[in-house]
Amino acid sequence: MLKMNNVRKSFRTDTIETHALRDFSLEVKEGEFVSVTGPSGSGKTTFLNIAGLLEPPTGGEYLLDGDDVSNLNDRQRSHLRNEKIGFIFQGFNLIPDLTLFDNIDVPLRYRGFSAKERRKRIEKVLEQVGLSARAKHLPAQLSGGQQQRIAIARALAGEPRFLLADEPTGNLDSLMARQVMELLEFINEWGTTIVMVTHDPELARRAHRNIQIVDGQVCDLRAVPEQPAAVSV
Amino acid sequence: MFGYYISLALRSLRGTPVLSALMIAAIAVGVGASMTVLTLNYMMSQNALEHKDDVLYAVQLDSWDVNKAYDSPNELPRQITYRDAQALLRSDIPTRQVAMHRFGFTVELRDSPVLPFTASTRVTTRDFFSLFDVPFIYGGTWEKEADTSATQVVVLSKSTNDKLFSGENSVGKTISLNAEPFTVIGVIDHWQPAPNIHDLNNSHFAQSAKLFIPFGLHREYEIYSWGNTNGWNSERPDGYEGFLQGENIWIQYWVELSSSEQKGQYEDFLTAYIRGEKAQGRFERPLKFALSKPSEWLVLNEVLSDDNRVLGWVSLAFLLVCVINAVALLLAKFLRKAPEAGVRRALGASRSAIFTQHLIESAAIGMIGGIAGIFIAVLGISGIRHLAMGQMDTVATMDWVMMIAAVGLALIASLLAGFYPAWRISRTNPSIYLKTQ
Repeated sequence: MLKMNNVRKSFRTDTIETHALRDFSLEVKEGEFVSVTGPSGSGKTTFLNIAGLLEPPTGGEYLLDGDDVSNLNDRQRSHLRNEKIGFIFQGFNLIPDLTLFDNIDVPLRYRGFSAKERRKRIEKVLEQVGLSARAKHLPAQLSGGQQQRIAIARALAGEPRFLLADEPTGNLDSLMARQVMELLEFINEWGTTIVMVTHDPELARRAHRNIQIVDGQVCDLRAVPEQPAAVSV
Repeated sequence: MFGYYISLALRSLRGTPVLSALMIAAIAVGVGASMTVLTLNYMMSQNALEHKDDVLYAVQLDSWDVNKAYDSPNELPRQITYRDAQALLRSDIPTRQVAMHRFGFTVELRDSPVLPFTASTRVTTRDFFSLFDVPFIYGGTWEKEADTSATQVVVLSKSTNDKLFSGENSVGKTISLNAEPFTVIGVIDHWQPAPNIHDLNNSHFAQSAKLFIPFGLHREYEIYSWGNTNGWNSERPDGYEGFLQGENIWIQYWVELSSSEQKGQYEDFLTAYIRGEKAQGRFERPLKFALSKPSEWLVLNEVLSDDNRVLGWVSLAFLLVCVINAVALLLAKFLRKAPEAGVRRALGASRSAIFTQHLIESAAIGMIGGIAGIFIAVLGISGIRHLAMGQMDTVATMDWVMMIAAVGLALIASLLAGFYPAWRISRTNPSIYLKTQ
């Protein structure tokens, strides 16, 4: 599903060059649920941005679904992002002045679906996250957990094969975090590949496999036994 | 997607009412001010005879003072003398020709509740109506003999006929002009060229004449001009006949020459006429005359002056200032919405989609600003009409062309204003906002 070979990402200012990712290599197989952990500033978010085609790598090779996507232009990356990738963010990132229905509608609009098809998909995902009755509400009228469920519904509406979650439970209490995690596991059981960045060791353990990033590189898990256990497939 | 972007734009405008109102006001004030000036300039530069621009000519003859050229752009008097007009009228070369000037009569209708009133009158030759395409509702023009002999007939304007006869066919009825009976032989429809290209010697934008009487009535009623009469000869002419035969210029003269051959013949005729007059001691200046097309005549008479043009540019500069203000406001608004743009980018919007969305929002502001600008322009124009006390009524008006132009100008202004902010927002890195929102 996702394969990165020696991916590099550096940010340059006038005087300093920062290497966010260095010779970063990783493979995530179809249907996997991978958690990504690591200290702050280790390069987790940069990895997620590159994986989600929000930023191009400075060097190396990135294969998504077998296609090299390292050097695509903005329009091609946007198209792939819309069609194959779903995003879930720590801060939910719902658009505050759009209703829940309209929030979920956003990626479907860019996909070019008909109004009928969009409505069908929105109603379906709202039902899946259990918030059908709140379709006309604004995000501010929902609890944090409900907002994250809407964000998940928005990510799922386009039926992506690849879901990227950046600290999806970071802003939730433990009960809501557990509910969101159960929802993600449920989605993964349907066949959606999930890569989740988290600081929570318990959540990381629930993934099929845990990847740790240190100093912009995938760290050999056997070399850091004190890290949360990872189950490799 | 266009409809989606429009709905997003309107939602965004509702979401920030104060900021949106400021931007709309910036565009509206800029468009309103510039359209007020541009509308006046546009109306002033109209040529009501454009369709006859290649066949109609205003005639100028240099009968002026040998010691000093006439003060006009081509140094030729804008009117001719009565005696020259009479001589030119004898030519059979032009298809049509018109000698004329402005006058005024006191109009009275016996046994009518309408009180006597003074009416602006055009003293002219019979071809006036056909040469200037003046439409008749009833009747028609007078016989050719009336151009040279006193015939008490009159053609009424529509407004005069409405006033005296409630709009009914008044042909054959009699009205009093300066207490003399005149028979109505025709009524013209509403006719108001703007500018008054047929008579630019008086106000460029005055209302058209209310009455039209034959040119052959001068001696009978000792008709002078109600417009400009200019002279260079300090010797006072004796009596009215002296005035007619003197060197005063007060007659406007137009000819219709349908072909270049005809024009050539007429130029030869004018040359021969001036030479003949020179032999009799007149036309002491070098032989010079001009046949000016309507479009050239408007320029020669400086209907649209340099001041008007400068004012036009100043108004556009003011619009530019308003656009720059709108740029700053749009930039502030769009950058405040950068997190939303970041989310949209993450969900599949390309940079061009974000750019288009925000540009359409700018255009929506422009459309609303443009419509508001029309109201401001209409207010500005009516203010000018009020200040000009009726002198600008015919040009201080906004037609549908200028209304469309106002919206177009607002649209262009808002797109220009929105281009940079929309480009900025489309180039921002979405990942910054996704993490920090």
